This record gives sequence, structure tokens and C-alpha cells, in this order.
Amino acid sequence: MCVGISARVVRIDDGTALIDASGAERKVSAELLEDLEPGDYVMVHAGVAIAKIEGPSGEETAKLMEELNNEERTGDH
Amino acid sequence: MNERVTLAHGAGGQQTTELIDRVFKAHFSNPDFTADDAAVLTLDAGRLAFTTDGFIVSPCEFPGGNIGKLSICGTVNDLSCMGAKPLYMTCAFVIEEGFPMETLERIAAAMAATAKEAGVRIVAGDTKVAGRGQVDGVFITTTGIGRVMEKANLSGSRAKAGDAVIVSGDIGRHGCTILLARNEFGIEAPDVKSDCAPLWSTVEPILRAVPGIHVIRDATRGGVGTVLYEIAGQSRVGICLDAASVPVAPGVRGVCGMLGLEPLYLACEGRIVIFAPKESAPEIVKTLRSCPGSEDAAVIGEVTEEDPGKVVMLTEIGAKTLLPRPGGELLPRIC
Amino acid sequence: MKSAREIIDSYDGRPLRIMEVCGTHTHEIFRLGIRRILPPGLKLISGPGCPVCVTPCGYIDEAVSLALEKNAVICTFGDLIRVPGSNMSLASARSRGAEIRTVYSPLDALELAQSDPDRQVVFLSVGFETTTPGSCLAVRKAAERGVKNFSILSANKTMPRAYEALKGSADAFLYPGHVSVMTGTALYERLCAEGVSGIVTGFTADEILTALAAVVELSRSGKPFFRNCYPRVVRPEGNPAAVRLMDQVMEPCDAEWRGLGMIPGSGLKFRDRFAPFDARVKFGISELRGRDNPACSCGRILRGECMPPDCPLFGKVCTPAHPAGACMVSGEGACSAFYQYGEKIDE
Repeated sequence: MCVGISARVVRIDDGTALIDASGAERKVSAELLEDLEPGDYVMVHAGVAIAKIEGPSGEETAKLMEELNNEERTGDH
Repeated sequence: MNERVTLAHGAGGQQTTELIDRVFKAHFSNPDFTADDAAVLTLDAGRLAFTTDGFIVSPCEFPGGNIGKLSICGTVNDLSCMGAKPLYMTCAFVIEEGFPMETLERIAAAMAATAKEAGVRIVAGDTKVAGRGQVDGVFITTTGIGRVMEKANLSGSRAKAGDAVIVSGDIGRHGCTILLARNEFGIEAPDVKSDCAPLWSTVEPILRAVPGIHVIRDATRGGVGTVLYEIAGQSRVGICLDAASVPVAPGVRGVCGMLGLEPLYLACEGRIVIFAPKESAPEIVKTLRSCPGSEDAAVIGEVTEEDPGKVVMLTEIGAKTLLPRPGGELLPRIC
Repeated sequence: MKSAREIIDSYDGRPLRIMEVCGTHTHEIFRLGIRRILPPGLKLISGPGCPVCVTPCGYIDEAVSLALEKNAVICTFGDLIRVPGSNMSLASARSRGAEIRTVYSPLDALELAQSDPDRQVVFLSVGFETTTPGSCLAVRKAAERGVKNFSILSANKTMPRAYEALKGSADAFLYPGHVSVMTGTALYERLCAEGVSGIVTGFTADEILTALAAVVELSRSGKPFFRNCYPRVVRPEGNPAAVRLMDQVMEPCDAEWRGLGMIPGSGLKFRDRFAPFDARVKFGISELRGRDNPACSCGRILRGECMPPDCPLFGKVCTPAHPAGACMVSGEGACSAFYQYGEKIDE
């Protein structure tokens, strides 16, 4: 329901962030996020930066899979 | 330099002559360009390819080209896809009253340069001026004739099971460029320029290097996805597309990500899709990659006996699903 | 260590019904062919999280009337352009001379209004908690700037009451990643305490498969579970600024969900001080009631009671080009996805 794209913040100017998603740039509202800085990655939806992204997706899923595997092992005992 | 096209320029009198002399003749001049009612051409006997195409695009100038360049490429590429060396073209303009003369000159200059690049001569033309609001800027129709290479036997109905499907470069750049040039979505992608290019210099080398190519089709409106469905239907075969192998420029991917669009349906104006026996695919890809603009050529799928008329997509997780049939206006998906 | 695929592939427990609530999940699941790789014991159901699908057809009628009768410039997400109203879609209104603009953001609609002060500009605001704050931002800015020619036709909805209505429809829910960005995860913890299992996840192949593997693993214990599999984007507390903004500008109301009917407290309307930006107030139109095809099974599909091909209309009178019901309307609807991505390749 909500197409979002992760993008890098290029600069911030008075509540507006210029974001870059692999070469596509747009100005979006940065008013819903605090302490945003250039270089941060954000989730953008309909012209609004809605969340700061912490770390890459691959790392997150890898960590989750490790947890699930551990849970399975403890579950077996 | 604020001169504009007026209805008088289309009335057939002195101003019309002036416009033709100054804009069109000045750029298109060649020994076959006629001042008479029709150009008289002498052609060698043999098979000829003959086609026509109309061009409307808003805005009429965009990064990587303009409607003039497009109007030459479109027709030249249709001829090329039939294995025909483009020889002669005609062009007809419908210009909106008030259209800037300077822009018209740039369009004519781009047509001349592109025709030269494609090795084709513009031999006749027509100019009409329509009242303000009756057309959007300028519409161009071009017609072209070409000589079919001796052994070429190309048709959309000739794809066969076991053929490789090859695309001549990254896809969707023209469609993406126009979408951004309309400036409706506030998105900029500095690296994205139209792929608009005349393709005889790409088609000829592969036809010479590899005999037995079955189909060449240029992906225009509707993009590569539309071509795949056209050929699957025309040849009554299935096509299995390997989604991960389709080349897409990063900027195009970014724009598509923001707007929820699929690059496979975005227009190209300088890309061909080739169907040829699998064994010849490496040679075709190698030859393509040595042609300027086709460095990203890649095999993107194969023709199958199963699922005639359908395009099946091998997805990034290794599952098979149908590629949705293209249809209707491309609309961003946001919410 | 087992991969997500291995965990999913080797599942041979009791049948599990998993509902992906969000339309973008539905879209990605079909695009990636995820349904086709699931073992027989795992079944995905597409829930009501496509705002276009659940928007009643009378809403389109209202927008068409604003465009054609009130001569307003309509700004909308592309998603709504082809949705049929009782008589016509926005695309057909456009061919009859209406000015319909596709925008990327509600803020773009506000900008358009400011650059063309002589025209009334109306933004069609559909969407859930992810999308609503953008509309609220536009309205708050319009109020601050004293913009007189901008208003919003709202059909915004919130998810919590819908989850209540969907209780029991599935063994586990894939909660919408980007709605959760805004709302946080407290509600899911609460639902879990009430026996409702679910996972929050993102939208890449890897993220969706990991979430499905999590459902499989966590279902083993037989106890209800909740897990946030998207923590790099979704925080437990959500986005407090967005929630505050929504609360400042809008308040809950009852809302009709196409296919599901009226769900009390599941809609949003403008608070009194922002009423001048409510298009219904501004143009004095009353909410229109559209007519749905009575044979349509969308309600049952959205509750997971049947699959799209079970509907008598599916693929016959109801296709993406001529949708009869909610789930065929949008590219993110279950019926449209079934139709376009062809559940069976070799039919």
C-alpha cells in the first residue's frame, strides 16, 4: 500500500531534504524526522522522509536468520 | 530572435517558401532533395522495405534529443529491423501557430544530423501550420524506404523454440527521460538521457557477422515487455525472461523505484530485441558490445515451446511467474 | 545454518494461513513469484491493505463531480486514475475536459495551488498511516501560509480497527512495513497478547522470505508470536512526529471499506479548525454512495474466506481493464495480481 524507496540524504535545507536514490534526486519533506544529516539513509514515501534507516537490509536479514536458527536449536533441546 | 511560426508560413505563399528555404532546405540539402512535387529516385532492383511513422512528444526537446531526432530514428529503425539499409525519407510537419522558429531550427538541424549519421537522405517534405491549440507544438510524420540485405529474412513471426532473446543495451531510458522532462513529479536524474539513436550501424554488423537471425524488433512505446508479448503472439511461442539479466541504468531504476514503475514497460528509442538460435548468441552479444551505445547488450531470455503467447518471468528468487501484459497508460503507483 | 528458503521449503507442519495485509507486499509477492515456491502447507492470503481497493466507489464519484461540476483541478496519485466510479473514472473525466494531474506528493498539490491562485486545487487523499501525514503536512502548511484555493478530499483510513475486524482470518499476519514505520509496534504486541500472531517486514525478496521463515519457525511452539523483522526502518515507538501531526489535523470517524463495509472508528476526518481545507465542506458536497456489483466476492476475498478465482465474476466480467470489484481495481489488489501474474502459467 505504501511504495517506499530508500535514499541517501544529500543536503538539508529548512525542513527540506534533497535525497538521492541511485541517481534519481528529489526534494522531500524532512519535517517528520529529527537530527537528520547529509549521508543518512531515509525511507521516502510520497515526498516525505518517514524514517531514518539504520544499516543495510542484507545485514538485518542475515542477523534475523541467525536468531531463527538459534531458536530452532534451543527449541530442539 | 523571438521569431515565431505564423499561419502565413503555412498558407503556401512567399512566407512558406521562406520557411522551407531557411529551415528545411538549409539543413536537409542533398542532391536528391526535390523542389518539385515528388522526388524521382532510381533504385537498384531487389527487395525494398517501406514504412511510415508519426511522432508526437511532449516536451518536444528533452535530454538526449528532440522530436526531430526521434522522427528520423523511429523510421530508420523500423527499416533496419527488417534488415533494410535506410536510403530515402520524406517528412511532413504540422506546426502550431506561435511555435518558436529557433526551436524549429534546432529540430531541423537534429533531423539533418541524425539522417547523416544513419546514411539516409531526406528527399521531400511538407509543412502545414495549424491554429494555436490545435496541435501541441509540432507533430512530424516520416516515411522511409530501404533496401533489404540480400540474405536477411527477418519477421516477428519467425522466433523459434531454442532461440536466445538479446537486448542491445540498458532499457527504458527514453520513457524515463520524457517522464522526468514533463516535470510533473519533481524528480531529477542527471545521468538519465534518452537512448534515442539510429540503429542501422548496430543492425548491419550483426546481420553480417551472424547469418540466420530470426527476429529483430525495436522496442519503442510499451518498451521491451511489449515487444516480448508481440513476438510471443506473432510467432506462437513462449518466452522465458530472466528478470535479473535485463540491463537497467541505476538512475532509471531509482526513478522507477520512487514511482512504482516497471522498466520493462518504459519506452526505448534506440534499443533492439533480437531472437536468434542460442548458439549464435555469444557472437551477437560480442558484436553488439563493439557498437557505440550497445555496450550493455545482454541475453535476457529464451524462446520456449511451452506457454505459447505468454511471457514467463524467472524472478530473482528463481521462481517462475507471468510477466503482466502491458496495457494502458503508465501510471505511478504510490499509495 | 538454514537459509530462509530452506526453512520455508522444508515446512511440513499443519497448514498455515498467512495474510499479507499490505498491497505493496501483495504486489511484490506476486512479482517475485513467492506463492509459487511455497510448500502445500503454507498459504498466502491478500488482505485489505491497498487503499485504492478499499476506497468506496462513491469517492471516485465525488472526485469526478468536483472536477467536472466545480471545475476544480484534481491532483491525485496515479493509482486512482483508472478506478471506476459509478459512472466514470478520473481518466474518462479527463477525456471530457476535467483537469486531472498525477502527483508524487500531496505537497506538490499544495505547490500547484500556490502557483495558480485563480484555480481551486483538490488533492485526493487516500491511504493509511504512511500516507496520511503527508496530507496533514500539506494542510498545515496551507493554513500557515493562508492558501485559500487548496483543499483535500479525504478517504484516509487507519489500520487498528481493521486488524480487529480481520481477527481469525489467518494464522499469522505480515504487518505492513511502512504503516508500522509511523505507528510503531505496540499494537502488534497487544494483538499478540490477545492471541494474534504477526511479523513486521520490509519489501525486498530477502525481507519477505525471512519473514515467512520467521512465521514457520515461530509457529512451532503453538504460542502466539510477534516479531519485528524490519527494525532498521521500523522502531517500536514508530514516528512520534507523524503521529502527533495526524492527531493535530485529523480525528477518527467511521469509514466504509469497499468490500468490508463500515468499520467504526477506522477513518479520519479533519478537525474543525482545518475544516476550510476539507473539500466536502468547501464545495458543500455530501458523501456519495456508489453502487457495487452484488455478485462480487471482494469482501470474502479480503477476509481470506475465498480466493480470487473462486469469484463468479473473476476474469469474466471483472478484469483489470474493466474491474467490477475492489480487488481488481488497483494493481496491488489480490484479484488484479492473480489475473495479471497468472496464478497458473500453463492454462
